[in-house]
Amino acid sequence: MERTANLDLTAWRAATATHTDRQLSVRVFVAILLACASLSALLASWLPLQVSVVTVFLFAGPHNWFELRYFLMRLPVRFGKSRNFFLTAFAGIGGLTIAYVSLPVLYSFGFWPDSAWPTILASWNTLLLLWLALLIRLRSQQKSTSDWSWTVPVALGLCSLNWLAPEFFSLAIVYAHPLVALWFLDRHLRRTRPAWLRAYRRSLCLLPLLLIAMVWQLSRTPALADDNGLFWRITQHAGAQLLPGVSSHVLVAVHVFLEMLHYGVWLVALPLIARQHASREGGRNLRARIWEVRTVPLARHPRGFPRLVATALGLGVFFVVVLWLGFSVDYATARDVYFTVAIAHVLAEAPFLLKML
Amino acid sequence: MKQLFTLCLFCLLLALAVPAFADIAKPRPVPSPAELPRVVLHTSLTIVPDSKAYEARLQITQSELKELQAALGNVQPNNSLTSGIAHSSTRTMLAGVFMFLSLSFAGVWLARSGQTRARKALAALLVGTAALGAAAIIVKANAGPPGSYYWKKLPQNLSKGLPTQGGIDIEIVPDGTDGAQMKLIIPQRPN
Repeated sequence: MERTANLDLTAWRAATATHTDRQLSVRVFVAILLACASLSALLASWLPLQVSVVTVFLFAGPHNWFELRYFLMRLPVRFGKSRNFFLTAFAGIGGLTIAYVSLPVLYSFGFWPDSAWPTILASWNTLLLLWLALLIRLRSQQKSTSDWSWTVPVALGLCSLNWLAPEFFSLAIVYAHPLVALWFLDRHLRRTRPAWLRAYRRSLCLLPLLLIAMVWQLSRTPALADDNGLFWRITQHAGAQLLPGVSSHVLVAVHVFLEMLHYGVWLVALPLIARQHASREGGRNLRARIWEVRTVPLARHPRGFPRLVATALGLGVFFVVVLWLGFSVDYATARDVYFTVAIAHVLAEAPFLLKML
Repeated sequence: MKQLFTLCLFCLLLALAVPAFADIAKPRPVPSPAELPRVVLHTSLTIVPDSKAYEARLQITQSELKELQAALGNVQPNNSLTSGIAHSSTRTMLAGVFMFLSLSFAGVWLARSGQTRARKALAALLVGTAALGAAAIIVKANAGPPGSYYWKKLPQNLSKGLPTQGGIDIEIVPDGTDGAQMKLIIPQRPN
């Protein structure tokens, strides 16, 4: 009788300890999240141009490598029923990226007058939206429980807005893309750390508050001194030319803040959560896992492609080093080239996010 | 084969991106002599404070308006967002087609889907937004306070050398006999 009581007590203590640990870890997670977001907002508001230069230099390339690795992790060995989905995804990523990269080439050759460019830009945006709508349609066919048909009128409505103001639509993509990382984190937490999900979603409420505070504080500040080519490019990228009524300080600060969140999710949050998840699942040698090709299911599987994965990751490292060298030699040009080619990773996020929904 | 294909794709991307100096922003626009402010018309201006007016008014005589029209004949139109939409018929038509398709599909979706509370709320929200938008356009809502509110600080600002911004109505009036050309009527309330 006494032994049974002790056993129950031990189980209860263990359960209480686990619950307390979980509560503590949730609190630590939320505290880190809020601290990072607040610090990012502070830095972005204080020195937007300088912070933009530094963050893109340091984190742009590595975050793309981490994204590549993440996508490889989620790629199935055989497409199976998702064959059409993945073929559409890869065809869209390839086609839209080549079209996007060739736009500056065509511009430099002067094939079309300046007045035609909004139409060309609107056409590219429309192709992007239609590709996304097709991907959603293909994905919804695999999910019989949910009805995603409402996305068709939404996509067509966005097409309409895009044709009214294509430059503003493109600018909206610039600002919306960093937020997609937060959606990835949400889905990842749902799978690996469901206990953190509620706290994470609540902490996201801080994001609009921080944005409102930034806009409120900086809206009356004078425009940033974009008297050199690099700073001018940064302000243009943030939409200073399209929104002349808004202080460029606000635009650059908000853009840098969102970019910092984006980099933070891909470089810190997702790898850390994956590592913790692996440790819970009994993984070994955690420090080396991220470099090991065999940790990618596509490479580990008996019918997988270890060499292809190794080549892709190796090329990724090579391009990160090349990007750093490019930034060191000619930062402004390397930044322009990067933000054009990086459209590929913006596009690649869509199908992998859809597969997680 | 797959490795070769991947490598070729990377090479193609790199080959396109590097010589293109991709997405290099346009050079900073240097204002050409034609874009610099230039005098197109010299005239006289009378500023009249009016305690009964609610809006500032700029009165231009008909003869002066004709001179202005003649002077502005060679000026390039402004490519603002609104004018861009108004003057690009292709883009406006395509925007209309997509809007039509969007509303049609939304209607079909609403009709086919079950009448759940959430969807009823969504439909009510859409109709309400459309009604509010139409009402706002009809009654010129969001018009702000009357012009006299903005212009009342004009004397203090002038003495301090500060600018004053406010709305203004432009009127075309018949040519007067007193020889006055433009007249700016500023609403001023006695303190």
